[in-house]
Formats: sequence, C-alpha cells, structure tokens
Amino acid sequence: MFTSFLRIVPILSAFTLAGMATAATMPDRGDGVAGAVVETFEERNGEVFTDWPKPRAVLVLTGELDGYIEPCGCTGKENQKGGLSRRQNFLRALNAAGWDVVPIDLGGQVKRFGRQTESKFQSIVDGLRGMHYVAVGFGPGDLRLPAEELVAGVAAIGDEPTPFVSANVGLLGLDANITPRFRVIKAGGLTIGITTILGDAEAAKIRNDDIEVVPAAEALAAVVTELTKAKCDHQVLLSWAGPDETKALAARFPQFDIVATAGGGDEPPRELPVLPSGARLVELGHKGMFAVAIGFFGGESQPMRSQRVPLDARWGEADDMIALLATYQQKLETLGLAGLGLVPIRHPSGRRFAGSKACAECHEEAYEVWESSGHAKALTTLEEARPRRDSDPECLSCHVVGWAPQRFEPFEGGFAGVEKTPHLAHQGCENCHGPAAAHTAVERGDVRATEAERDRLRDEIKLSLATPEGKQKAVNNCLECHDLDNSPKFDFDEYWPAVEH
Amino acid sequence: MAMRAPAAWAVAVVAAVIGGMIGAGGVAVQTVVVPWQMGELLPLSDAVAADAPRVEAIETTHLFGTIGTGTTGSHRFEIRNTGGRPLSLTRGTSSCSCTVSDFETTEGGTPDASKVVPPGERTFVTVKWRGKPPGGAFHQQVTVLTDDPRRPEVVFVVEGTVVPTWRSAPESIALDQLTTSMGRKASAAIFTYGEAPPQVTGIAIDGPDAEKFFALATAPLPAEDIAAQPGATGGFRIDVEIKSGLPIGPLRRTITATFMMPDEVVADVPLEGTVGGDLVIAGPGWDTSRQSLVLGTVSGRSGFRRRIFLTAKGPHRELVSLVVREVVPHSLEVTVGPGAAVGDGGVMRFPIDLVIQPGSRAVNHLCSEQGPAGRIVFDTGHPDSPSLAIPVCVAIGP
Repeated sequence: MFTSFLRIVPILSAFTLAGMATAATMPDRGDGVAGAVVETFEERNGEVFTDWPKPRAVLVLTGELDGYIEPCGCTGKENQKGGLSRRQNFLRALNAAGWDVVPIDLGGQVKRFGRQTESKFQSIVDGLRGMHYVAVGFGPGDLRLPAEELVAGVAAIGDEPTPFVSANVGLLGLDANITPRFRVIKAGGLTIGITTILGDAEAAKIRNDDIEVVPAAEALAAVVTELTKAKCDHQVLLSWAGPDETKALAARFPQFDIVATAGGGDEPPRELPVLPSGARLVELGHKGMFAVAIGFFGGESQPMRSQRVPLDARWGEADDMIALLATYQQKLETLGLAGLGLVPIRHPSGRRFAGSKACAECHEEAYEVWESSGHAKALTTLEEARPRRDSDPECLSCHVVGWAPQRFEPFEGGFAGVEKTPHLAHQGCENCHGPAAAHTAVERGDVRATEAERDRLRDEIKLSLATPEGKQKAVNNCLECHDLDNSPKFDFDEYWPAVEH
Repeated sequence: MAMRAPAAWAVAVVAAVIGGMIGAGGVAVQTVVVPWQMGELLPLSDAVAADAPRVEAIETTHLFGTIGTGTTGSHRFEIRNTGGRPLSLTRGTSSCSCTVSDFETTEGGTPDASKVVPPGERTFVTVKWRGKPPGGAFHQQVTVLTDDPRRPEVVFVVEGTVVPTWRSAPESIALDQLTTSMGRKASAAIFTYGEAPPQVTGIAIDGPDAEKFFALATAPLPAEDIAAQPGATGGFRIDVEIKSGLPIGPLRRTITATFMMPDEVVADVPLEGTVGGDLVIAGPGWDTSRQSLVLGTVSGRSGFRRRIFLTAKGPHRELVSLVVREVVPHSLEVTVGPGAAVGDGGVMRFPIDLVIQPGSRAVNHLCSEQGPAGRIVFDTGHPDSPSLAIPVCVAIGP
C-alpha cells in the first residue's frame, strides 16, 4: 500500500490504514486547508509516512528554529515552510493517529539579541511547553540571552518540570539544578534516554558568567553511566556542535544510537547516515522548516524508520499556537519601539524622509504606478494579518518607509507608528531612492537653494537602470527586503515590470 | 562485521515494481523507506538485475567559492546512465533558495522536469545560486529521483559564501553580560572584498554621552585572519571599550566606521546588549519588563512552592548577604539559601524559596487597582544597594 496516511486522512472514510491500530483523524487544520492543498504540498515537498505501520513510539526531532517562530508570509506563507503552528498540527496528527509521540528539540530557538528576541524566546518556550516537549537543548543564541530571561523561561514552574535538559550547561551554575542533565522517558513500552550538549567550540564563545559550561565529553561520561543504569532501549544525544565535533562525540560514546547535530545543510537529508559507531546521524536543517521523525517498531527486520517532514501548508494552523503568536505580537505592541530598545539610527545619507505623497506632487505617473502596486499596501498586509504584525519590527522593517531592512531598526525620521508618521506607511519611494525631505523642500520652494544645490539633491535620489553599476545598485536595494527568507524567487528582471516607472 | 539486510532492499525493489505497475513509479521510488538496520547494509548487486538502469554522477558537490551580493552563480551537474536499460529521472525537492533547471540532453536542449536517459547517454541539471542578503555561508541540496534501485535518489550539494562589499564578524557586537558597575571591552573584525585595501578615515558611535561611556579604536587585521576569510581582500579591527556607569536597560548603539576602498564606504556595526544592575532576580514568574515577580492566583487550599534566584555581580558581589526584612502578603514565606559562586566565581547565586502554606487565607495583591502589589524587601549588604524591594503580583484564592 503506497498511499500516504496523511493524504488519506481528509478522506478517511474511503480507506483503512494498514497497520494502524487506531483510525487517524486530523486535528483542525485551520482555514483553507483542504485535501487538494495537502496533495499539492505532498507533490511539492514529498509525501510522508508512506506505508508506515503504527510504530511503538515515534521520536520527533526539531531544532535550529533560529527565531523563525513562524515563516514570513511576505510572498505567501503557503510557499514557505516552518513555524510553531504547523509543527503543533503535525504533532497532533501523529497523536490523532494513535501514535506515542516523543517531541525533542536540539535547541537554538533564537539567534539575534535584544528585547524582541527575549520576548520571542519566552513565547517559543511557551509553545514548546504547549507541544509537550520532553527534552530541549540550548543553542548558542539561547545562551546569549540575559540570565534572568533564560531562567524565567526555562525553569520549572511549580509541578511542571522544565522541558530543557543539558549534560554540560548549567544556568546559574550546574549545581543550581535548574535543568536536569538527562531525561529518561517511557514511550510505547520503550525506555528512551535523552541528553543534550553544547559543543566545546560553541561553548568557548559564550561569555556569560551566569552560565557554567563544562566540556561536553566530560559531562557525557557522567551521563552515559546514568543512562546505562536506567537500561535504556535507545539513547539519544542532541549535540549543538558542528558535524565533525558531533561525530567525534558519537565515536567516543557509542551508547547513543541516535545523534542529532547542528550545523548541517539547510534541509535535512532524506535518509539518515550511519556513523561508524552504528548511530544514526540526524540533521534538522535550519529555521525550523523540517522535523525528523524516527519510528521505533518491534521485530528485527525493521526496528526503526525515519521520515523527514516538511512543515509546509499541508498541516494548516493550530489555534493555540496562533493565539500564542497573537500574545507575542501584543507584547511587542505593549513594549513599543522604545520598550524594545529601538533607538533610531542615522541614515547613511544623513538625510530625512518626506513620504511618498510628497513625491507625487511632481512625479505623478510614477506615483500612480506605485499606488497600484503591492508596495502601496505593504503595511495594510501586516494590519490585516492574523494575528496582526504591525508592531513587529522584524516585519515592519520592510513594510514602511525609513527602516533598515536587515537590521529591523528605524532610521532617524523614519516610520514611528501610523499615528505619528502616517505619511511613511507602506513600502514607499524613498526606500529605494533614499530620503527626499531636502529635495522636496527645495522643489516646493520651502527653502532656498542654488541651482547647483537643487541639482545635487535631485542627483542624490536618482536611480538609473541604464548602466550596469546603476542597475546593480537598484538590485541591491531590492534585495534588502526581497531576501533569501522573504522572497526566495525574487529576480529583478522578472519583478521589475510590475513596478516599472 | 557486516550485517545484511535483505528485507530492506526487497522493499525497495517491490516498491519500484508496484509503483511502475500503478503508473506512479517516480512517486513510489521517492517514498521508499529503507528499514533501519545497524551495521552495514547489503550491497545491491545480488538483488538487482544486471541490466537495470544505473545512475552515475561523477560530481555531486560543487564549491561556488564566493559570490557577491546580487550576483548569480550556476553549475551544471552531469548525470550518466551506465546501466543496461533506460534511466528515469524526476526532479525532487530542492532547498527553497536554489534555482534548479530541468534536465537537458545537451547544452541548450529542451528542458523537462522529468527525463528518460537511454543507456550510455547523459543529461545535465543546472543549479543556480543567487547571492542574497544577509550573506554568509550557504549549503544547499538538490535532489534528483531515479529508478535505479541501487540509488533511488542523487543529492547534489552546492556550497559557498555570499559576500557583500564588506562584512563584520561578528555581525553585531553583542554583550552577553553588562552591569552598570563594570566596564567591558569588545571587538569586531571588518573584512572587505574590494580590489583595494581599506583606508580607515573615521570611527564613531551614536547616541547620547558617547564619549563618556565608549572609547573606540581601529587596528589592522593580521594577514592570516584576512586569508582565513573566503574571498576577503582586506580588513581592520574595531575595538570598543565600554566604561562603567551606563544606565540600566537595553543598550543599542551603532558604531560607524568610514573607510576608502577607494570609494568611501560606511560600515555600521550594531553594539547591543542589556545593562543590568549588580543585583538581579531570575526565576519563573520574574517579569523583566515590569521588574516584578508575577505569581498570579494560587490556590489557598493546596498551597504553592517556587524557587527563584538572586544573582550578585560586580566588584561587591562577595559582600552580598541576603536577609529578608519584609514580606507582603504575610502568608508568603520567603527563605534565602546560602550563596554559591557560579562557575569561575564572577557571579554569586542565592536561592530564594517562596512558599504559601495550604490553608492560607485569601488575599489579593495582583498589582491592580483592587489589589496593590505585594513586596519582598531584602537587606543585601551591597554598599550601593543596601536594600532591594521586589514587587510581587500574587493573589491567594480558595
């Protein structure tokens, strides 16, 4: 039988799932996820769990979220993979099929720094708790957060244990015991021991006296003794280290039969390579776009199987994670730009912004082209998103005038909210041409200028596609927002006709 | 010791055969799951017909080297059929950012998303990589699915580095641990990628009191550091000294280095961190934005337990000794454990246990108009902050 179980779920009544003890029912996939959508994404990104019988238990490995709590929807969220919401629905689909699911995470929830990242980390951890993760490691980005933020998110809350586990990282010291060194869980009648480490190379970069890190091998030597005592059927190492360092640890500690590493390719390989120790090496890709499921089966012939799972639109959205995202966005709104520590930075030109309507006073035809383009609705898309994203600097930076797109910070005189700076809403003229306040003031006659000064101001904001240098400059401007994450298919020559002026 | 797994390949072959029978051979092959066996898997030669199609890719990894932002690199991978029957190829998944051409018989041939390659012939797949911000190393995979039962997929890998005019390493100077009483030094390397080496003409940091709190300098980078960066042709180091006395709260400044190469280039390097006090509370419920301990509504019937911590940093950390002076509500019991050094001793840690005993009477201190904040007040022994008051938002319900 070669039909994907996840494809047949929407039309469940027509099929029986071979090998599954319990008929699968999908959780609510949110709006607009029909069987056709599922099939589309199976075709695009591959079917999953084809011909899998029900496993005794299934490990679901994730990691390297890198702050991508959700995929950016700029070019259509359906075109992108990842996000906690889809991950939750994927886990629920397995649970709904009656599978015994064990979610574990390598770590690396965040990558940047500052108040927004701190707030995002707390929201992600809330999400991991909501998805019932049993083991979560630390990535270097996580450990750059202030200790008070880390401990607030990580520590046990009353009787609810922390999902975080680390053999060699101790928040406020290893002997503070805020996180356990390892965890032994039972699933499907199996005993599974899980631990995580931060590799020595990464640990050397951590400069935070609130965090104690001991060498990974030293820590693992103590942990494997405990896991051996626990008579685990499987031992899992989540290693935040480069593949070479991880492989060296796997060789030194052959007790681990599943070893996940950081630093691999952007997407996990379809099959898991076998290390000389016999362990399977798991890569998880980047930005949380994939999960890797490892099923444990009884018997000798097929004891385990693995499945790379693209977290694409086939999974739909989970209401509880959407609510979590809404709370996160509300936090950003409450904090505001000042609360997020965003102090406007100087524009490289030193000039100020006028707003697109000021350009329209002379450049009427160009303005009409702009007005009918998606650029003129850029902020509206954030306001109408579910949840709305118009207080999120990581979104705003490409949806308003006067921000540094790759830094998520406003320039001096840039957009500071629709009430304060309504004229700077949307992706306007000056984001490509540069701030034009002085130019418009001179052209209006608001300030006096010599003819030479007037011409210089005009020249400063000209972009010409006539020369290779000019075109390259224009293309580079576009790429500030049409970047790898947000516009993977961007090609200037293909996109330009839509906004040509 | 070789451990043979005939069942694995039996599944693969059966899958391919049935897939072909139902007219979906490509899909069937794509979804074959090779059962997991520890040890060495059985070579396929004895399970596959001798004249089966056989895929061969001489090269599966291409190193693009460095690609400038905004430019495109491309590479053609060759796929040969050295078997005795036609080889069916289907384009599989690729990393989102790669552009993958369809198969070509010869250069310039009509591309197609799937291809049948006769025995002894070859085809090509072209992978293009666009250098897009934010730059840095890339490692992308492109998968081609085959009906060669020995090798149901071929993964092509492209690697390289996207480089802009200049690059800062690290991208931003992030200060993991800053306190108002302690200064810090940090640095970043600026690597450049132009033909001419950079000539630094200026360096500055924005924001108020820049000279009071920051000292900046630049220095040449050792040639070996530059050589170690793929594609870099020059560079210099930015050194920043952060002096003590910065106000508590988020720190975001921008260091701007100006240099000629030969045109003027302005490089902005963010400096970011959080300036904390010498005494910091950490634990579940501690809201850093509100600087309050938010415990919420707890059950008076079952009681409540929680452990939080106070950390002491700075030159006076060894003097800190916590004594509980006042607690509101009174039913919240607060006990301070012995201090202990964290790691190398740069931080002292004090556990603080919070207990509300079962049967405690109802109170409301939820930090609202109806329920003003409770508090825990400590004597600290710290010469600059001898007393520390923590607002507590808590209500004891039934």
